[in-house]
Amino acid sequence: MDVLPPAAFVAASASAPRRPPSVVGAVQRAPLQPDLLHPALWLGHQLGRQADAAVPSGFAALDQQLPGGGWPRRALTELLLPHPGIGEIRLLGACLVATQRAGRLVMLFDPPADLSAWALARLGLDVEQLLLISTRSRLIAGSDTLWALEQALKSGHVGAVLAWLPPRLRTERLRRLQLAAQAHDGPAFVFREVAAAQRPTAAPLRLGLRAAGADRLAVRVLKRRGPPLEGPVHLELPTVLSAAAGQRAQEAIADSATAGARQEEPALRTASFVNLA
Amino acid sequence: MLWVALHLPLLSLESFVATLVAGAAARPLALMDVHGIVSANVAAHALGIAPGLKRATALALAPQLTLGQADAARDARSLAAVVHAALAFTPSVTTQPARAVSASRPASPDTVLLEVQASLRHFGGPERRLDGLLQQLHRAIAPLGHVVHVASAPTPLGAALLARMPRARSSLPHERHCPDLPTLRATLDAAPVWLLGPGREHWEALQGMGLRTLGDLLRLPRSGVARRFGADLLGELDRARGERPDPREPIALPATFETRLELFARADTTEQVLHGAALLLARMVAWLTAQHAHVRRFTLVMQHEPRWRKDDRTPTETALVLALTEPSRDPVHLQVLLRERLAQLQLPAPSIELRLQVDDLARRAPLNEELFPTAGSEREGLLRLVERLQARLGPAQVQRLVQRHDHRPERGSELVAATAVLPGGRVAAAAVTQAATNSAANTKAALQAPVRPIWLLAEHQPLHARAHQLWLDGRALHLLSGPERIETGWWDAALAERDYFIAQTTDGALVWVYRTRLPQPETLGCEWFLQGRFG
Repeated sequence: MDVLPPAAFVAASASAPRRPPSVVGAVQRAPLQPDLLHPALWLGHQLGRQADAAVPSGFAALDQQLPGGGWPRRALTELLLPHPGIGEIRLLGACLVATQRAGRLVMLFDPPADLSAWALARLGLDVEQLLLISTRSRLIAGSDTLWALEQALKSGHVGAVLAWLPPRLRTERLRRLQLAAQAHDGPAFVFREVAAAQRPTAAPLRLGLRAAGADRLAVRVLKRRGPPLEGPVHLELPTVLSAAAGQRAQEAIADSATAGARQEEPALRTASFVNLA
Repeated sequence: MLWVALHLPLLSLESFVATLVAGAAARPLALMDVHGIVSANVAAHALGIAPGLKRATALALAPQLTLGQADAARDARSLAAVVHAALAFTPSVTTQPARAVSASRPASPDTVLLEVQASLRHFGGPERRLDGLLQQLHRAIAPLGHVVHVASAPTPLGAALLARMPRARSSLPHERHCPDLPTLRATLDAAPVWLLGPGREHWEALQGMGLRTLGDLLRLPRSGVARRFGADLLGELDRARGERPDPREPIALPATFETRLELFARADTTEQVLHGAALLLARMVAWLTAQHAHVRRFTLVMQHEPRWRKDDRTPTETALVLALTEPSRDPVHLQVLLRERLAQLQLPAPSIELRLQVDDLARRAPLNEELFPTAGSEREGLLRLVERLQARLGPAQVQRLVQRHDHRPERGSELVAATAVLPGGRVAAAAVTQAATNSAANTKAALQAPVRPIWLLAEHQPLHARAHQLWLDGRALHLLSGPERIETGWWDAALAERDYFIAQTTDGALVWVYRTRLPQPETLGCEWFLQGRFG
């Protein structure tokens, strides 16, 4: 042992996390891996990781773009929709079914319309085991929604939470929910209007959803723990239409695209006419 | 035999403090009887208020003094709660009267005695340790808010005397324990002579004779002592020393529970009502623990003060009934529920008295306590959550969805109020019991059923049809599949004769529209409607 150089001896006698003496010289060449140090650290071009295993979304293309490879647990996921009914439930279907299979409860807060039990059952959900909380009928709209949602998130006994939040929610309200979600061992989805994209959010994941044809959904990743994503992710949802009807839908989209291009000129002329008047 | 004595030196003062608003205990308080001040708290002592002062003297010394009337019935209710808490540990519980102040007025009890020899194994672990039991006893009594002096001895009266012995500031331990008779006798011999009840009357005579401790008294000839001070004095001493039998009648736990609290000042706000109700809840929990039961329904009655004389419009009382989904005796949970319900309630007048009664009980085996979360604890937590939501939002607002076999889409699903959560986080409703079991069959049936949209609009939105083209919010709709005819319900009021189509908006979202088969008079010639969106 007396042939070891002094520097190596110092390194070997130091505490355990220090590198062994043989790689002391290789530190400069080896790539820095901050994500090995702590799950909250990552490089700008990498995807962040989750401390807990994420819940797979059932869409491989989407999982690739989500930090941790799926919907995060113990955090809010913000979904921005132009209006309900563009395939948002079908997007979350696989995750909700997996939650129910694990024997945990799925709670829905203030759904924007009546739910069809038969359509949910078709997705594979156990309809009887969904709990719906409606709070809209109270005097001050939204106060009870946030309270009930916070209670559910804080309790930590709910498997998955879907909440339709009142519009123009203040950022600190959402931050409060995000803090409560840290006790919630499961995915928590909040649905908000598209205009909310202009304001900052406390949720670590924010997706913008847009219909991209029949049974297709374009998902834009607006915020994530990782590098920004340029284009949207196109997903094929569980189909509603038959094969022939799907074909007709694509033709209709193509028609309307050309029709839209043709109609553009008259629309401009009308506008200029109004201005002159 | 091993007796534990719980002496409550400040019982009457503490039962008075409970009727005041929160935070009043720090102010100078004193209790008054016909003759004058009988007890005062620390803040009042600092101002020179001492028992025995006349009312006018006390008020001259401290004008800000809050004077309350001593009330034996109020003290008895407070002590009954301590007895109930003690009954959870042993069936043989009794009370010991305080020292009689005078012969005319019997003293109210201020000491609770428990015989715990048989309970040591259960509460004290395999080594039958007394301190294990005492620790749990303290925890059970703590919510009632009393200062307790504890002692243990082989005889009931000996334990009571030990608990009442004055304590020097720091030299003596907090609790006195004499595990066997010789230690007890040695301790009692050194105790001051006025500890014995009847000896109090002869306090000056004994003092004049130079008798200070009980040991001095014992050394005198018994016949002479009995002749001069009465046989009771020696008899009591003998019972305390274990030389004469001392049979006690155990207190039986009442089968029903009702307690009340008369407030010192009118309670105007929910917080004030809740402050008083918290003590009543603690008393109820003590009784429930002794009953080995959980409460399913209880009532809090708030008695109101009429605003003026012959006020007929203000009701005399408001009753708040709390029914629990799952029986419970967790004071924190019960208090949260009560707070939510009280926050919703609008009281017609200030309350002057609170009354709590248990209406319905549930007896069941105690739950296992677990360190790590399990399915059972998750279910418990879910129940709490649902109950809390129901308490604030109303029971009808927590719902679940049920599949119905009806072709009309608006009748194919129904919302029913969720009543309970079954094991494994499953939800149960009152209306449907068998549906939960065949939900798997329902899923299979749904796969074969025709496609339905997830969102159903409560009010069908009329669509404009212009130039053979349907328009929704100014955008053209393209019909993609259909028609699917639904024609049913002729036997009830909601006859539906519709042809359904799946249509696509220009942005690609799918909607579900229908055309009424026959023109409807009430729809003003409009025959296309939007009913659903494919979520």
